[in-house]
Amino acid sequence: MRLALAIASFVVLIVHGVVFYNQFVHRWERHQTAYFEQARSMSTRAEERADLEARTPSVEQTIVTSFGETRVDRCTTCHMAADDPRFAGHAEPLKAHPYSAAMGDVFRNGHWERRHKFSDFGCTVCHDGQGRGLETHYSHGEDEFWPEPLLGYVTQATWRKDFEPHLKGKEYMEANCAQCHTSEDFAGTPHVNRGRKLFYAMNCYGCHKIDGLSEGTLGPDLTEVGKKFKVDYLWESIVEPRANLATSFMPKFNLSDDDVKALVVFLKSRRGVNFAETSLDRYKAHVANIAVVIPPGTAGEKAGEQLITDRACTACHKLGNRDGGVAPDLSYEGLEHDRDWMMAHFKNPRSRIPDSIMPSFRFPDEDFDRISSYLVSLKTAPPPMSPEETYKALCARCHGDKGDGNGKVAWYIDPSPRDFTKPSFMSTKPRERFISSIKDGVPGTSMPVWGHVLDDTQVNAVLTYILQTFTHEPEHVIKRNLPDRNRVATSKDSITHGEQIFLQRCTGCHGRKADGKGPNSLDIMPHPRNLRNSWFVDRLTDRRMMESILYGVQGTAMPPWIDYGLSQHDVGDIMNFIRSLNFGDRLQNPRLLGISLTVPEIRSTPHARN
Amino acid sequence: MPLAAKSHDLSVHSEEQVPRRRLLAWFSSVGLFGSAVLAVISDLVFFKPRVTYSPSARFSIGKPDDFPPGTRIARDVDRVCIVRDGNRMAAISTTCTHLGCIVSISDTGFSCPCHGSRYDQDGNVTGGPAPKALPWFKVTLAPNGELEVDKNSQIQPGTYFNV
Amino acid sequence: MSAPVTNNKVGQASACQADGPEARPTFLTALRELPSNVWSSIFRHPLPSTDLERSQTSFTNFFLHLHPVKVHRNTLRPVYTLGLGLISLFLFLILVVTGILLMFYYVPSTTQAYDRMLDLRGTVAFGIFLRNMHRWSAHGMVAMVFLHMCRVFLTGAYKKPREFNWVLGVVLLLVTLFMSFTGYLLPWDQLAFWAITVGTSIAGYAPLIGSQIKFLLLGDTTVGQEALLRFYVLHVAVLPAVLSLLVAIHFWRIRKDGGLSRPGNAGGLGPFPGPAAGESGIVRMRLEPGKRVFGLQGFVRGPFTKIGNTSDDSVYSWPNLLMAELFVFVLTVSIVLVVSLAFNAPLEQPVNVMHPPNPAKAPWYFLGLQEMVSYSAFWGGIGVPTVFVLLLFLAPYIDRDLKGVGRWFARERLLANTVFLTLVVLNVIFIIVGTFFRGPNWTFVSPF
Repeated sequence: MRLALAIASFVVLIVHGVVFYNQFVHRWERHQTAYFEQARSMSTRAEERADLEARTPSVEQTIVTSFGETRVDRCTTCHMAADDPRFAGHAEPLKAHPYSAAMGDVFRNGHWERRHKFSDFGCTVCHDGQGRGLETHYSHGEDEFWPEPLLGYVTQATWRKDFEPHLKGKEYMEANCAQCHTSEDFAGTPHVNRGRKLFYAMNCYGCHKIDGLSEGTLGPDLTEVGKKFKVDYLWESIVEPRANLATSFMPKFNLSDDDVKALVVFLKSRRGVNFAETSLDRYKAHVANIAVVIPPGTAGEKAGEQLITDRACTACHKLGNRDGGVAPDLSYEGLEHDRDWMMAHFKNPRSRIPDSIMPSFRFPDEDFDRISSYLVSLKTAPPPMSPEETYKALCARCHGDKGDGNGKVAWYIDPSPRDFTKPSFMSTKPRERFISSIKDGVPGTSMPVWGHVLDDTQVNAVLTYILQTFTHEPEHVIKRNLPDRNRVATSKDSITHGEQIFLQRCTGCHGRKADGKGPNSLDIMPHPRNLRNSWFVDRLTDRRMMESILYGVQGTAMPPWIDYGLSQHDVGDIMNFIRSLNFGDRLQNPRLLGISLTVPEIRSTPHARN
Repeated sequence: MPLAAKSHDLSVHSEEQVPRRRLLAWFSSVGLFGSAVLAVISDLVFFKPRVTYSPSARFSIGKPDDFPPGTRIARDVDRVCIVRDGNRMAAISTTCTHLGCIVSISDTGFSCPCHGSRYDQDGNVTGGPAPKALPWFKVTLAPNGELEVDKNSQIQPGTYFNV
Repeated sequence: MSAPVTNNKVGQASACQADGPEARPTFLTALRELPSNVWSSIFRHPLPSTDLERSQTSFTNFFLHLHPVKVHRNTLRPVYTLGLGLISLFLFLILVVTGILLMFYYVPSTTQAYDRMLDLRGTVAFGIFLRNMHRWSAHGMVAMVFLHMCRVFLTGAYKKPREFNWVLGVVLLLVTLFMSFTGYLLPWDQLAFWAITVGTSIAGYAPLIGSQIKFLLLGDTTVGQEALLRFYVLHVAVLPAVLSLLVAIHFWRIRKDGGLSRPGNAGGLGPFPGPAAGESGIVRMRLEPGKRVFGLQGFVRGPFTKIGNTSDDSVYSWPNLLMAELFVFVLTVSIVLVVSLAFNAPLEQPVNVMHPPNPAKAPWYFLGLQEMVSYSAFWGGIGVPTVFVLLLFLAPYIDRDLKGVGRWFARERLLANTVFLTLVVLNVIFIIVGTFFRGPNWTFVSPF
């Protein structure tokens, strides 16, 4: 026991000694003594040499309070020579901080005078990094928990390796210059300026708000995005919009690396601070209603067209030479919809297209009026084109260049554009139905009425082109023996029975609310029909609905329920139930049941359904 | 534990008589005592701050040209008065040596509003409760061409820095 | 720790012993007996009604084991001790409780402290009241501790064997002053800031090490966030722990020294069988091999653990000492409550480093020092106080005469008492002058 105690005591003594020693050995001390020696050898004055001889290493720090929070910058503890011009050519960390006219430094009387004095600015306000750290890992911000690594010099371990080469470079520091130098064409921040221009040119301003610059409410507010996120996150958000939020509908822009870098630098400069402006200015910018005027806007055009630019409609839609790549093409809007339809659609897009993702903008009515007036004026049909050209110009946007329903904007449209390459669907439907869909459009969906844009010959030609190019299979329609009208009378019992069957059989795909959002719906393409889409359902003939339920819809996941024991009477009850979910009082109007509408009157508005 | 029987045995082999035990006891005590001493010293070292959050004791005041000859200017934030006499410069503390108030420049030197201490132009006490003269701080020329005052280095009053 | 069952109890089954086959109590009986079982498991001995039971209270209750079984009558005489030690202790307890409660709302940050004080005063339920209690108890404790010291000196109670306890007491006085000083800064108003600036500057006058001490204390060269933090830690953690430890030792020494001093025999132990007159009276441990002993108390064979064999001058601690202590406690608490209701603790303007008030005064207990400092910085601030404290420490080792112990102003101790009283009165006069008769620039002003 005594031996054990003796050994343990000695071990504890050694450990204490190690701990004690550990606290007195620092790398920065070696840098400092190296500086003292080198400065001494370069010194021309005996007094200075004596001072350096007597100096011992100690922590050097600059405390800066003029930029909001208190910054304690200890960088000069290692970077001792930062303000010593004699060390201009040395290696880091004993290298003098460069002077340059671009940073406002002035060469006078034979030596440089620094514009941004370290005693006034410190280091981190320009470079980021962790001022309080005294080891490289912490002070340079290599520690992944530190939110502000050295801009343009340091990448953190958690950053994606494929982004790393893009994220280095002194130009990233311009983001911090812009904290004070906020003017649009400041010579020292070319990347910020370019990024700002891109912010407008690429329609970012339509979805994203930045205090003082834009008003968009669809995407996150970017006023302080540079403060919240590091450059790797910003880069990723631009090149892979769905990397962090799978349901984001931010488009994937095709930008060059230089453009992305400019945008990243610009966004990084959005730190919600502008040291050069007063609190009052900042507050005013925050509450201002920004009317955006972008460079291409030419004066003298109609107010509505200007509004379309101001309100960034082309952030999603296509019009003229701007295309947001998210929403349908408005170029022929005057031929496709009437004014009433437009106004109703503006107030609430889902009143006309129930599964639309277009937000309900809260613009004043007169703005809607003016925009509608302008859109209604777009009545110029496209010039005659070959079927292939017609397809590319009008159809490919949604249906895809390959006809597979994967057009540029397909992801944003519900119901999805039809996949023409599915022969099981395409070849089992009669040609008349396709003609009708093209000419009359499909109400309740984004398929426009092309009947006023294309004449019958063109419609036929395009359809033939589609079937030949994409479907490759001849028509093979099965004729079913079904009545034209629902034989089962509409009654409370019928509807109740239909509801029962619906709840037992149909909700798995069509959902409990019959809106097509059942649990199985996510994996099915095309998605199950939204049976509350009244614009669509009302236009279905009884016969078509009966056939879809009894015999299924080939080329989709809708099974033939006759094989699962449903009788025609059951189906009749289900149909009554489904009809009861849509424009209910139409049950009283037999004229509207079972009759397919031909080219809808552009001026007629069947029901205002808000 | 029965006391009677064993105590007799214990006294036979006392520490003094067994060299091995003495050595081990010595080791233990050196180890423990040494650790205790190191721990105490560590505590004292811990207690003395290595950095403080007050403004740096060594700071730049500007270029020599910023102070024309005959300047006598008080920088209250830094608590120092910069004097230029011809081509000689000095930095005199403006913290009263009595109880730490800031002295103001007067016609005859300095005076303290708190308890009435009076100093002459060079900081020597001429009246009031102040116990010592105002210290002078070291002035140096930094490599970047600016003058620096170091409040951690007090110099003999009357010692000027030549620019 | 009750006495073992002896033979004459054979045949009498005790209540909890099993008797017979149906020994196990049923669940229902257990339930019915629950309240009394719980009670008797906590309080295992009845309220005393016999002398034996009164004696046992010192061994059977955790809190009461502080008490001896019997105390001398003199100890309980109000005019002898004036209860000053007890008052100091109870004030300390009040300070600890109110202090801990205040800690739930106070933040030791230069930017937040003052605002928190405003909250405590304005919005926290009972905040203003707790703060008042804390402030007035603090001032009270400094005063009471000082008066207690005076009482002990003037009754000669520091003489052998109580020298070291007196030294402990002086240390306790200094710790109390330091506690009050560190707490004084925490409100972070002009009063606090400049008082501590003055106080630490006085400490800085010490030769050689003065500026180092000041730097260590303040964590910086001037009073700022570091000083606030250090003072806070000292005030809420370090010093209370030190104080508690020293108080515990102080009480232990009282027991070991044979209780409070009293007139009569030298050594203050009175006419008992036991150590003869003139002997040191330190209680020695005597091991008696062969006898069964139960616990530590059994070892101690000093006069007070003899039951039924003491002189008439002593009374049982239970209930006499306990009642006296309770009375002092109630009195202390009442006075603190009334004073806290009537007077609000001060809160002046927030700290303004550029605006020292004129005059800037240290806390009242240091004003005597400050007055002396105005005559001579070193002698007034360091020299004289050090001499005074040294004299205090050394008093029991300089004044070895054992006569006159246990009485106020005993004639035999005229010299010692006079010297002591003179210094005390001088200090008090300086404090009064410093408080009322000093104005801007420390010039003499009339308070009337």
